[in-house]
Amino acid sequence: MPVDMELEAVLRPPIIPMPPYPPKVITLANGKKLVVRQAAREDVPTILKGVYPCLFIERDYYDIVSARLYGELLAWYRYRVKSEYCLIGQIDGYLVGAVNGRLENEKVGMSYHTLAIDRGLRIGSHLFAAKMEYHMEIMGQEEVLIVAESPIGFRRWMIEYPLEKTNIPHELGGGDSYRLTQDIYNLAKPRLVVGDRPVPQELLDKAMDEIIIVDDDIIHEKIAGLKGR
Amino acid sequence: MRDVAIIGVGMIPFGRRDEDTLMDMLAYASLKALDDAGLGDKTVDAVYVANMGAALLQHQTAIASSLVDRLSLIPAAAEAIENGPASGASAVKNGLLAVASGYYDYVMVVGGEKMREVTGWRATDFVATMTHPLAEYVYGITLPGMAGMFTRLYMEKYGVTREQLISVAIKNQEMGALNPYSHVEMAITKEGIYDSPHSVVNNPPVADPLHLYDACPVSDGAAAVILCPLEMAKKFSKPPVLIAGFGQATDTQTLQEREDPTDLKAVTLAAQKAFDMAKLKPGDIHVAELHDAFTILEIAESEHVGFFKKGEGGKAAISGKTRLGGQIPINVSGGLKARGHPVGATGVAQVVEIVFQLRHELNKERQVKNAKNGLTVNFGGFGNNVLAFVLRRVEQ
Amino acid sequence: MKEIAIKAYKCKSCGKIHYPFHDRCLSCKGRDFEVVKPLGNGKLVTFTQIFNLPWGFDQRFLIIGIVEFENGIKAMGQIKVQSSEELRTGMLMKPSWEPVRVEQGENVFGLKLEPI
Repeated sequence: MPVDMELEAVLRPPIIPMPPYPPKVITLANGKKLVVRQAAREDVPTILKGVYPCLFIERDYYDIVSARLYGELLAWYRYRVKSEYCLIGQIDGYLVGAVNGRLENEKVGMSYHTLAIDRGLRIGSHLFAAKMEYHMEIMGQEEVLIVAESPIGFRRWMIEYPLEKTNIPHELGGGDSYRLTQDIYNLAKPRLVVGDRPVPQELLDKAMDEIIIVDDDIIHEKIAGLKGR
Repeated sequence: MRDVAIIGVGMIPFGRRDEDTLMDMLAYASLKALDDAGLGDKTVDAVYVANMGAALLQHQTAIASSLVDRLSLIPAAAEAIENGPASGASAVKNGLLAVASGYYDYVMVVGGEKMREVTGWRATDFVATMTHPLAEYVYGITLPGMAGMFTRLYMEKYGVTREQLISVAIKNQEMGALNPYSHVEMAITKEGIYDSPHSVVNNPPVADPLHLYDACPVSDGAAAVILCPLEMAKKFSKPPVLIAGFGQATDTQTLQEREDPTDLKAVTLAAQKAFDMAKLKPGDIHVAELHDAFTILEIAESEHVGFFKKGEGGKAAISGKTRLGGQIPINVSGGLKARGHPVGATGVAQVVEIVFQLRHELNKERQVKNAKNGLTVNFGGFGNNVLAFVLRRVEQ
Repeated sequence: MKEIAIKAYKCKSCGKIHYPFHDRCLSCKGRDFEVVKPLGNGKLVTFTQIFNLPWGFDQRFLIIGIVEFENGIKAMGQIKVQSSEELRTGMLMKPSWEPVRVEQGENVFGLKLEPI
């Protein structure tokens, strides 16, 4: 599609520079290694292939979370959103989860979404924690605004951190936001944020080489399977 | 009193079954058992339905009447049996008594539960309704909480370690991964749930000293058996399994009123009665299904039924004595830990699994070689209402 | 300070203490009881820190334990500490009678315990 760069200069929002997220590796309950690393803008079309089948899964609010994540990632790809980032989780190169967020300003971050394609392994918890680590430790922000669209998210974040309630409405029109501060983060960190750095070279190369997306049916079975996990 | 045999069994895979209603699951398991017994187009004389939560979770009552209508088993006698998580075994016991008495010939027992229809908070509350309303429930105690308090005392008295508990979780999840009816089909590693510092997120405490992987999942599912007098069982094609003995015992409702809260008197008594009736000893058992809603319970029950001395169960588990191929294979199905725990269905599913074993119907990777005698223990409340069955293969 | 509203029952025939109420004595099946209240402090018998709370609770966890009072009455209560790591079995706990949950908008009172 032809793009007029002069027009883009008007349409594109300013981007606050973000330091890169240093990748880490986490051992999961089944012994598999989850590599958590930052996705580049160019990775978006591939990631969207993994998000797409979830748009049609009602179970556990996968449809709304993926619909919004899809829009957010696409907006990032097409330069239509301020300062967005995306971290992904991979096992043996396979995409098993993605989280995203953006910077409102230097001090305040806004957590967007958390999607786990493989279930029963706390992948969502690990990736959300990585996001918070990014905002709080790597970028040194003061607070992150967070909402939950699913009861699972509510339990894992609002109750387990726990987060502070605010009066700030959610930018997509849902319930009021909750807030993570440096204090809450530091208290929760030993329990909720884990990972080893650096990632062993072989694992990192596998993850950086290619983001492998499994078939739609496998995604369906893992999330909406007849026998849940 | 007549000898009672099991001539048909059936169950559906346990797990999260959003697309099935409770009645659907009960019906599917029932039809599988009827077909297995060769009674697919026949009727039975009486039906017992085990279930704990239909009234609370599904807003439905009188489900036994509803089931016989749905399955065209009218005019069979029918009742629902509620005994907390021991509803399944209680229903089997009632079916057994009905046939043994001579009043009924063909009896179907089916247990089912749909717990995942509600959120985790409500399912936790539902299970907690078993506790004493004034002295326990009001405080927000949960069943994992009761198990946590029990585990702490058991660890202090007998030196049971977290590693011993974890060995039970690993064994059961490994076996669950081989069982097509199992809820959880994922093997776990000691590194992932304990050794690695990342285990703090993978395996957080739920009611310390118990962690996530020490507790069974919340499941939907159903299982059924068909009973008839042993003398009539010879007509059927599959080898009958005799219910050689049963036992049931109760204890105080609250943990605090037990002299020694680590002493599961009801388990000891129920198992003893079952062994006495069957004229067998713990050493005669080849395969057992114990009630491992929490890993500590598998260890404690293995001691209280007489497989190991008090305080030796944990060591036995970690040294492999309770694995397939070991001294006494326990929970080869994956147990409640991996197979799942739809509370009303569990007691019946335990019997179904032992029947599979005693009929020698399972794949090599799950079959206990030459299994002839089996034991089930279904734990109700927190150890205050326990049922045990001793099952025996009948050679044709 | 609210009075600890726990009623325990001492069998008039054999002296066995019961809490909660039983219509017949657990030891001798007797039916006559005298009401006794918990005396003094409670010794911690066992405890646990529960996450995954039932419907009706908003906090992240609850710490619950069983204590034995000086006159033999045993009861469950919520423990006022930040972590179960602060507790050891055998510790002495001071009892109080405070709201332990909210049901239908109303406070429900029960036993709370605090390490001495």
